[in-house]
Amino acid sequence: MLLTTTLLPRVITCNWAQTPFFTFISSFISLFTGGGQRTLSLFSSSGPSNWNKVVSDAEKIVGYPTSFMSLRCLLSDELSNVAMHVRKLVGTQHPLLNTARGFVYDSKNNLQMRGLIVLLLSKAAGPSHASSDLLPQDMVSGIYPSQRNLAEITELIHTAFLVHRGIVNLKEWTVSDGPLKDMQFGNKMAVLSGDFLLANACTGLAQLDNTKVVELISSAIGDVVQGLYYENHNNNEEYSLTSGIDVATWEEQAFLSHGALLAKSCQAAMELAKHDKESQRLAYKYGKHLSLGHKLNSDLQPFVKSSVGEPASFCLSAAPVVFHRQIVGTERWLQLLQQAKTQRNQLDYSKLLAAVKSEKGVSSAVDLCCYHGNKALEAIQAFPSSEARSALENIASAITKI
Amino acid sequence: MAGPWWRQCRRWSTNVTSTGLFETLWQYSVRSVSVSASSLGRTSWSSWPGNEWRPSALPTQKKLHTVNLTSSITRHRSRLLDPTLQSCCCRTIHSDAKPKDPFTLAQKDLKSLYDDIRKELFVSKELKHLCDYYFDGKGKAIRPMIVVLMARALNIHSNRSGDLLPGQRAIAMISEMIHTASLVHDDVIDGSDKRRGKRTINEIWGERKAILAGDFILSAASMALARIGNITVVKVLSQVIEDLVRGEFMQLGSKETENERFKHYLEKTFKKTASLIANSCKAVSILVNSDPEVHEIAFQYGKNVGIAFQLVDDVLDFTSGASQLGKPCAADLKLGLATGPVLFACQQFPELHAMIMRRFTSKGDVDQAWQYVLQSDGVQQTTYLAQRYCQEAIRQISMLRPSAERDALIRLTEMVLTRDK
Repeated sequence: MLLTTTLLPRVITCNWAQTPFFTFISSFISLFTGGGQRTLSLFSSSGPSNWNKVVSDAEKIVGYPTSFMSLRCLLSDELSNVAMHVRKLVGTQHPLLNTARGFVYDSKNNLQMRGLIVLLLSKAAGPSHASSDLLPQDMVSGIYPSQRNLAEITELIHTAFLVHRGIVNLKEWTVSDGPLKDMQFGNKMAVLSGDFLLANACTGLAQLDNTKVVELISSAIGDVVQGLYYENHNNNEEYSLTSGIDVATWEEQAFLSHGALLAKSCQAAMELAKHDKESQRLAYKYGKHLSLGHKLNSDLQPFVKSSVGEPASFCLSAAPVVFHRQIVGTERWLQLLQQAKTQRNQLDYSKLLAAVKSEKGVSSAVDLCCYHGNKALEAIQAFPSSEARSALENIASAITKI
Repeated sequence: MAGPWWRQCRRWSTNVTSTGLFETLWQYSVRSVSVSASSLGRTSWSSWPGNEWRPSALPTQKKLHTVNLTSSITRHRSRLLDPTLQSCCCRTIHSDAKPKDPFTLAQKDLKSLYDDIRKELFVSKELKHLCDYYFDGKGKAIRPMIVVLMARALNIHSNRSGDLLPGQRAIAMISEMIHTASLVHDDVIDGSDKRRGKRTINEIWGERKAILAGDFILSAASMALARIGNITVVKVLSQVIEDLVRGEFMQLGSKETENERFKHYLEKTFKKTASLIANSCKAVSILVNSDPEVHEIAFQYGKNVGIAFQLVDDVLDFTSGASQLGKPCAADLKLGLATGPVLFACQQFPELHAMIMRRFTSKGDVDQAWQYVLQSDGVQQTTYLAQRYCQEAIRQISMLRPSAERDALIRLTEMVLTRDK
């Protein structure tokens, strides 16, 4: 069994960890959190695993993974300024601090995973046949510089939204949560640094010299916003308790928030090398199904891992819960919620967990995860056999191992 | 194509030497931006070496003269600008008819502006409502107006008759969208609860949703921009987005010395306000004319009008009643920002220095600073500086072939200066 939660942080390993982008993020974070100690300790806690091997093999294939665009970001006055200010947040409860730590700690964020996949697909598709502007000698490790820039822009956008996600609604903040001033300040920093990353993504996109790619990636930004907006809405406990969403809607929304950016970046990587429409469609398909499979995999974790003594923690819009609700029907679901309520009107999540596990919600989500993993595998088969393609196959298989 | 007549005109106009009070400061800001404009709109203010402006070193006599001139203009709300301006800029190319009101002239191109913007915001449910919130047709749409007038003036200059190009119209729309997206985020950053007499998005729906709405408007603007299909235009307007953020960052810090502070203030003003107008003007010129000198005229007009616009805004923050601007007075001071009037006042009241450095955070700072500004000639000097920027804008736009739209853009500079809200 693959324990994604503990293993994914090691996506950042060996040569990958020495890239400019990684350096940028980690120094950003160590400035945020006030030191590099924690960052270091994270990398020593590695052990052999399937996933780890899949990813580190994949990294070797794409050579040096990124350009120096992010280095410019790191060296900018703006980010040093933010880092300096955000030190003040240490000790407060503003989520920006956790977001910053999460770049390194939290498995869900999968730093650089998107960039890696864009690079692998670029390499798997090979040199351009259609364009005379693109010269084979410009490629490094079988990847065009514009594709490397794109991989990095994808990461910038993803990171920008991690930051913007951590904005706090000030009216919901009560005095017992801590001083409001800290939250105002944290919001200010989160808005500014997220905007800064997005603005750099915009100028980076323009430099790719392809308006189709600009349009495609801009639409992906819009998709992510919509996805996060719905997520925001669905995570509202009150909402989940009354109506909730069905599986089809769940998939639609998960695609917006977790799949659109990767799917469209994969497509754009093909467009940059002037590969035909069919290659673009397949690349999009790979990115889409891989992201959905991955989202299901991480939603499933609290339901499959044996967490003795740990309090159950999951979200009411997690895939197994959505399946469960659909299987048992609204009435029984509402009954269950009533039963799971404690005297203080809080939800007892371990009770809910047991209930969901007792029905078919978990296995349905596992099936759906495998379905998406297989769809991703299917899409990649049309590309010529290569080590890059094998790496993409391995990644697609790994997400179905729950 | 541009005939030789305007080149000649340009050559002539560059020979005009200005001898105003703000000589050095003025030279600094004009020159440094033209340096930047040559590198695709990217500014390099910080590396500008020739910034030797010392406020205290200005000859007193000149200073008195200016103050008198400026205050008389302010007092009488004269519709005429500095007389030297008319003689130096419009002499050779003055059209006889009285310039039309820019708003009236631009109206036919802006009729469906807000409808078209709302169509671009293709999203459902509540998020749609948030995104549409400020595109209610009640905004002044100053940016789109400048863009369409500039586009028509440039089309005539380039011997292209008929309607606006579709891309030019799109740029008018995109300029308003980028502007609005940045307002939505600014209101979260500043914690504002009122904008244009309405409650802000963050006030009604909370900060999280407001940030997402701003991001969505930006992504829609970026898509519309890409659909124009001209990568140079995409690059020019992407620079604006970066400038807006960098400008916002610049407001976080205070500079230690007067010299640095003024430079910082003008650079911030360019990035936060003028860059959008300047680069939108440049973008519409790229679509109709291939001559970089024409692009530069469009850019320079937009830049100078944009800076003047913001300087007047900063003055109004001190002089306008709370109801007129739709936001409370001295809002900038309350946010810890030292704008033009304060920086000028600091020359006469060095006590302001410490307050600027602590961003008016001590009790009574805001009121005290407010008093100092009103007792000083900070307001007049800032107004005067705005006039100088408008003169430069007129000098630039006058290099275009005469047209009703060009004259309306000249008239607009005057309206920028005399507006009281």
